[in-house]
Amino acid sequence: MATLFLALLLALPVSCAAAQAATAEIHSERPFGYFVGDLIHAFVDIRAEADADLRPASLPSPGPLTISLDLRDSRLEPIAAAEGRRWRLHLTYQTFYVSLDVRDIKIPGFTLIVARPGGDEPLSVPSWSVGVAPLREVTPTKAQEAVDYLRPDGDPPRIGERERERVTMALAAATLLALLLVARDRAIPPFHSRSVRRFARLARRLGPLEWRPADAAQTIEAMQSLHRAIDATAGRSVLSSDLPAFLDAHPQFAPAEAALRRFFDLSERLFYGDAAARDDDMAEIAAVARALARRERAR
Amino acid sequence: MTIDGSLAQWRERAHRFEQEIEKAVIGQRRAIRLITISIFTRGHVLLEGDVGVGKTTLLRAVSRALGGEFVRVEGTVDMMPTDLLYHTYLADDGRPRVEPGALLRQADRLSVFFFNEINRARPQVHSLLLRLMAERSVSAFDREYAFPHLQVFADRNMIEREETFELPAAARDRFLMEIAVAAPRDEETRRQLLFDPRFHDPDALVRRVEPGSFDYRAVVDVARAIQEQVTASEALQRYVLRLWTALLDPAGASVSLPDLDVAHLVKGGASPRGLAFLVAAARVRAFLEGRDYLVPEDIREIFIEVMAHRIFVDPIYAMRGDEPVKRLCRAVFDATPTP
Repeated sequence: MATLFLALLLALPVSCAAAQAATAEIHSERPFGYFVGDLIHAFVDIRAEADADLRPASLPSPGPLTISLDLRDSRLEPIAAAEGRRWRLHLTYQTFYVSLDVRDIKIPGFTLIVARPGGDEPLSVPSWSVGVAPLREVTPTKAQEAVDYLRPDGDPPRIGERERERVTMALAAATLLALLLVARDRAIPPFHSRSVRRFARLARRLGPLEWRPADAAQTIEAMQSLHRAIDATAGRSVLSSDLPAFLDAHPQFAPAEAALRRFFDLSERLFYGDAAARDDDMAEIAAVARALARRERAR
Repeated sequence: MTIDGSLAQWRERAHRFEQEIEKAVIGQRRAIRLITISIFTRGHVLLEGDVGVGKTTLLRAVSRALGGEFVRVEGTVDMMPTDLLYHTYLADDGRPRVEPGALLRQADRLSVFFFNEINRARPQVHSLLLRLMAERSVSAFDREYAFPHLQVFADRNMIEREETFELPAAARDRFLMEIAVAAPRDEETRRQLLFDPRFHDPDALVRRVEPGSFDYRAVVDVARAIQEQVTASEALQRYVLRLWTALLDPAGASVSLPDLDVAHLVKGGASPRGLAFLVAAARVRAFLEGRDYLVPEDIREIFIEVMAHRIFVDPIYAMRGDEPVKRLCRAVFDATPTP
């Protein structure tokens, strides 16, 4: 494409500035065949001595140039050169000239300032022209209906809907799942009454230990676990004397009151009194945990 | 499990002592229990409560049931330390005389010394009281007076701010407990207080108390025996240490309160001495409950009374009285697992 573009380039006559050393050469993509609204790409190759420089302020700045011509873009590109200095000034114009016949329009020239140690010198880039053409014939063939003078609109491009639908459904499902997970985590309805089932978990864990000869450390550990489960259910540390308040707040455990009372008495003797753990203590703790686990589902 | 024979008898006497006081003072069961605990812990007591809720009647009843002498002093702004010790007057011959005051005259028989409105007195008086409480002795007439059975009760005027001197931290720390005496809430008790004529004559009320439920001179030995015989298991020791840590660093123990910055609330006062007082008082509570070992309830039951007045909070919260400390204490108990 770049090769084609370069091949189409047309070198325009060279304009020489006052000083022979600095030159500017205009190249345009093509000198003809532009319609209203087209972009005209051109570049100006500038050569100067090694000690010369271009005044940035003298470069053409984008904006309207004539009533029907705008400079859309202007970009200076330094180019490596064996001797002297070279720049390429890329220019993009846009024409709004509504031509009724094929004719040339003029692209105005401009003056660049070349700075040398001896002083600034102007380098004039002359005006040049491109050929513009009308969009339609001046006297078209007679049509029956006014609308027939217009070309129909092109068909819109077809976009595959199925793929998008699938992606939308998948994302919607993922969002719903995430919302459900958040609701479950925050105990938002319908999960507000969900029970953690602490006692069920504990009863399952203690079940196998019940029938083995328990050592004292295991009994103590089981007892502490049951205390922690009761604390977690109450949301605070529950002492033996807090039991009535605990049962008031969690009436589902009221039928297990006797078992709970026995457990707290046992715990008090074991932890604070001088009693030692007995073989059947583990069975007692597991039984309390089972009783509480049964009541836990009653909520 | 069983308490030593003689201690068991002492527990019965202690309960009888409480029952005797309840003959004169109704609706104050908890205050009476706390006073009993302080007597057997040998600790001094600050009373807190509105005017006219019966603090003096309560103390007179305590004193009568306890036996021994009772001295009551009113704090005033012009009171000097010597006013507690000496009695100065012009004798019949017109010459000035200095004689021992009521405190010194009955030093070894004195069981209850009630200092009414202690914060009306100046700091000089507070420092004498500090010595009296800490060492149970004072120097006067070039000799030492010992008060072996003395128990100081003091109440603070919490209403007026004019001409009052707040008790210094060191003096407050000498008191074992600050006991709240509030008007009874129960409607039947209130009705009796208002309409039963026997409650309108404090002297007659106090006379209903059988004097000397036990010998106040033996309390020193009983108190020592209680401290030796009531045990604290390893689990309980760990529990108290966890409570202490949570009190000093509530944020670290996941304690949080809605409108309090718990990380910066406590500025000091939860000292080893305070905690040691707490354990000592808890042992007495266990003894009164018929146990020879401590349980967490013993600690919780007296925690606020023993600790709240000796915990100093950030000045931002100090204006709110002891309410932030009480809330913190409750939150600490809620957050500290047992065992």
